[in-house]
Amino acid sequence: MLDLIAQGLALVMTPLSIGAAVLGLAAGIVVGALPGLTATMAVAVLSPFTFFLDATIGIPFLLGIYKGAIYGGSIPAIVINTPGTAAAAATALDGHELARKGQGRRALEMSLYASVIADMLATMVLIFVAAPLATVALKFSSPEFTMLFLFSLTMVSAVSGDSLTKGLISTALGIGLAIIGLEPMTGQMRYTFGMPDLMGGISLIPLLIGMFALSEILLQAERGAPAIDAVGQQRNERGASWLDVKGSMRTILRSSGVGVVLGALPGLGAEISCWISYGLARRGSKKPEEFGKGSIEGVAAAEAGNNAVCPAALIPMLVFGIPGDTITAVLLGAFMAQGLLPGPLLFTKSGDIVYGLFVLLILTNILLLIFGYFAIRHLRKITLVPSGILYPLVTVMCFAGAYAVNSSIFDLVIMVCGGFAGYLMRKTDVPIPPLVIAVLLAPGLESALRQSLVFSDNSLSIFVSRPISGAIVLLLVTVLSWMAFQTLRKRARARTAEE
Amino acid sequence: MRIIKGLALGAILGTLGASATLAEEFPEKPIRFVTPYPPGGSHSLHAGIITTVAEAYFGQPMISVIRAGGGGVVAAAELAQGDADGYSVLFGDPTINSLRPQVEDLPYDIDAFVPVARINYSPAVFVAAADAPFDDLDGMIAYAKENPDKLIYSSDNKNGFTYVAFEMLKLKTGTQMKGIEFGGGGPAIAQVLGGNTMAYAGAPSVVGDHIEAGTLKAICATDLERWEKLPDVPTCQEAGVDIVWHFWRGVLARAGTPEDRVQMMSDAFGKLVEDEGFLRLINTINSRVGYLDAEAFGELLAREQKDLKELYDAIGG
Repeated sequence: MLDLIAQGLALVMTPLSIGAAVLGLAAGIVVGALPGLTATMAVAVLSPFTFFLDATIGIPFLLGIYKGAIYGGSIPAIVINTPGTAAAAATALDGHELARKGQGRRALEMSLYASVIADMLATMVLIFVAAPLATVALKFSSPEFTMLFLFSLTMVSAVSGDSLTKGLISTALGIGLAIIGLEPMTGQMRYTFGMPDLMGGISLIPLLIGMFALSEILLQAERGAPAIDAVGQQRNERGASWLDVKGSMRTILRSSGVGVVLGALPGLGAEISCWISYGLARRGSKKPEEFGKGSIEGVAAAEAGNNAVCPAALIPMLVFGIPGDTITAVLLGAFMAQGLLPGPLLFTKSGDIVYGLFVLLILTNILLLIFGYFAIRHLRKITLVPSGILYPLVTVMCFAGAYAVNSSIFDLVIMVCGGFAGYLMRKTDVPIPPLVIAVLLAPGLESALRQSLVFSDNSLSIFVSRPISGAIVLLLVTVLSWMAFQTLRKRARARTAEE
Repeated sequence: MRIIKGLALGAILGTLGASATLAEEFPEKPIRFVTPYPPGGSHSLHAGIITTVAEAYFGQPMISVIRAGGGGVVAAAELAQGDADGYSVLFGDPTINSLRPQVEDLPYDIDAFVPVARINYSPAVFVAAADAPFDDLDGMIAYAKENPDKLIYSSDNKNGFTYVAFEMLKLKTGTQMKGIEFGGGGPAIAQVLGGNTMAYAGAPSVVGDHIEAGTLKAICATDLERWEKLPDVPTCQEAGVDIVWHFWRGVLARAGTPEDRVQMMSDAFGKLVEDEGFLRLINTINSRVGYLDAEAFGELLAREQKDLKELYDAIGG
């Protein structure tokens, strides 16, 4: 193994490879930070350009974009409350609250440190236990996926706002929207009214851009004044301290674990991991009442949770040639075009390239830390841009991003409707993330549930009789009863206080 | 006089120009090459390679457009309603061009497209999980006959490539097996690798390494001759069941596109598939070339559509 690592090092520690990685990171952070442009889109658009490049240049470039874009999503989430991706929505909850209190730099730095630490841990898991972990991941079948989807939806409903009822309303709306389109098992049309545009369902990314970004812009336009009095605050703003990182270390470790396990399962990704991590962190925290009101631990939980997924998603891709999510699917294509054929024979056939890839993953991570640290100083200044210029610019980006996904005018309609719906939801304190996450997860939940019932000849016992599935059910029940207990205790206390 | 001369010259030039328009001026703007599936799959990968090298053979850039949705139906429906000028072509396959418009109620008809060129094809290779209680086609059939509906296999989508392969197998062997649609090739193969299902059928480029590594057992391939990279895997015909089922990747234009334009594109694709850079890239992604011109591709389509109609009439799907 050592000689393979040495070969890997020799392959990629060249100025050209490192330069390509830096360029990719810079491009990735910009793409991730702009609302509407996603990591998947960036890698998909740029990968054909790497077809004719040498693998030692093309692959570092693409990995740089990938990592930069995933990290970049947290910047607008914290600074202007418009998450660039669904995976950064959990980060916005606490991150933006911190920014409003004048602790934007602290939140941004915490997000960077948590991302880099989680990514590093997950990369170690990838390097040392990829094969065994991948084998375990394959044991997950439809019943386990059903329960994981259910678990994620429960978490996001429960932790994204103050009221569980409103969270559930939002989730239900999202599930309703997700029903539109081709039915997943038999291909029947549901609620499409004969419109071809609706056959593919409500596109997630335009909806997400509208709900997260456009609604925030509408709100800002209504207020007329910036939410953050940025100029006065930026001078002596402090960054994340060692104590912040140390205090959140347990959370980061837990979130990394969640991210690695979920990332290694084909089909689940960062969007789920950040919410489960966030929910578990709130449950395990000494100060759960701070969550949603500016908890630094909350930022760490969400960011560690979504970043640990990236290296882990490479596990099923490298070991079996099965992409873990849309972005690894695009990466898989790009790797294949470089002559790197992921699958069971990859490690024996091209071990040196694989280890070169591992070295690159660590290298891009270190570069991200350096790059991010300096970038934050300048990116914070986004809030110094007058709202009259910033928000119209973001609006243009929203339209461009929503159109670019499928080159569809109808997606713009979805985006605008999403914007107004999101505005109403913000006004009525109905949390937006459950709706978006439900649109994302409901089709998977439906498929997994119905697949399970085909396996079991329509018996529900399959969900508890399989060990892993049963364990997830148990965890779900525990978390739910803990939440119910907390609520009851809070009510009892409030009553005592009244008397 | 000068004016008349000028007019005459203009007329001559105009005529020349007009005849040139008919024969040579297509394409005079970029062609949209529409992939109906999401980025990252084998379709978009092929599309990326084709569009990268196309300009030299078309005289205009070819723009790769990803228009995913509805399992490919959204893009096909949109193109079927667009202009029949050859400036938008569909990167199609047998499910969206031969099967589904016949058996589902879709917003486009089976004859909404005309064939331009087939780029390549791959057969389906039936495989079994490493711990499945059978090793070959005879064993598989015997197991399925003894245990009706107990042989659970991974399927992709209703009326998808794997779905059809198994419907053919079940009809030809008179067996009952239970398929679970996992919504795509990736999750479907993951389930058979994990031993959650017993069998699957997929492209050689996907299952090949697993057969070599011993993580899946090869049953047979739905082609007329053995696949060059899998010489030990028998064809289904050799193994005793007459199944031929090709997943082709081909270019189609909207019906009504002028014939000379279709022919021009057909010829251009014929030269493109011999391009050195194209061949190198197509090899790197473990694919290959199986070019057919517009006419031969049309014959294949007609035959395939008839066969699939008969299959679905027989199974009542």
